Amino acid sequence: MAQTNPGKDSQASEAKKLISLPTSRVRLIMKSSPDVSSINQDALFLTTKATELFVQHLALTSFNNGSGREANSLDYSDLAKTAEETDTFHFLTDILPKKILARDYLESLEQLQDEDADF
Amino acid sequence: MDGDSSTTDASQLGITGEYMASGHYVLQPQDDDGEENMNDHEDGGTKENYREQDIYLPIANVARIMKNAVPQTGKIAKDAKECVQECVSEFISFITSEASERCHQEKRKTINGEDILFAMSTLGFDMYVDPLKLYLQKFREAMKGEKGIAGVAVGESLGEDLTEDSFTNQLPTGIITDGQQQNVMVYTTSYQQIPTVQQIQFS
Repeated sequence: MAQTNPGKDSQASEAKKLISLPTSRVRLIMKSSPDVSSINQDALFLTTKATELFVQHLALTSFNNGSGREANSLDYSDLAKTAEETDTFHFLTDILPKKILARDYLESLEQLQDEDADF
Repeated sequence: MDGDSSTTDASQLGITGEYMASGHYVLQPQDDDGEENMNDHEDGGTKENYREQDIYLPIANVARIMKNAVPQTGKIAKDAKECVQECVSEFISFITSEASERCHQEKRKTINGEDILFAMSTLGFDMYVDPLKLYLQKFREAMKGEKGIAGVAVGESLGEDLTEDSFTNQLPTGIITDGQQQNVMVYTTSYQQIPTVQQIQFS
């Protein structure tokens, strides 16, 4: 057929404009959950869209909650703090441990060992 | 004093409890020798070799959404972007397993939209539900008349390449609040199809 179908094309591109994350990747992550067999179209769309909302929500909340050290910025510690203090993001605490430099940790370990050595 | 302190062997460091997260000790990079466990895989490895938590959404997309969410002059650290990337995978798994459980309880095999929305509500994301319903409506309208489109077709061609184009507000949006009297404006971004798929690293 030589004729184009602009109505159909614009429908598809309308749908694509709704999200800015790759649904194929989202589907992959979903399927890596145990016991997930199939996911319908709506569910995939909703999850993808929800993920966008989640990123916005987490970023802005952490930014505003910031530790105050650096006012106009968002860094890892802001995220870790938000996960601890905000109920909604509490499920992230396991993957957002507080970070320290290995050097500092080992120093404090050595200090502890020195103290133990005084018996 | 030896400077070689960069070991991630948990037993050597005697790490327990609060510093452990899924078996990893997170080190701040002192020297960039690949201590981080991001996307830990062989080159050319297959996806089957990834553990569940190793599959992430492209950082370019995630970073872009973050950048548009915070005030324009705000800065975002690189480790924050990577971290949110991981949090996102965690979020998706979190919602999915809750939805999947409900599905099984009702003896169904396919996770549908209702399961997802219900999971959000149950897990403390009920503020997303109304905006999501609006988006779903738009999505269905847009897809009407498209036969045989698996949902994955929408976004299959969404590459990982983003340009610095301006964004337009496509929809009247739902507003979600973070429960602290602050309004988080939810908006959509327009997207351009790029023929080649490339990963952009935002430094």
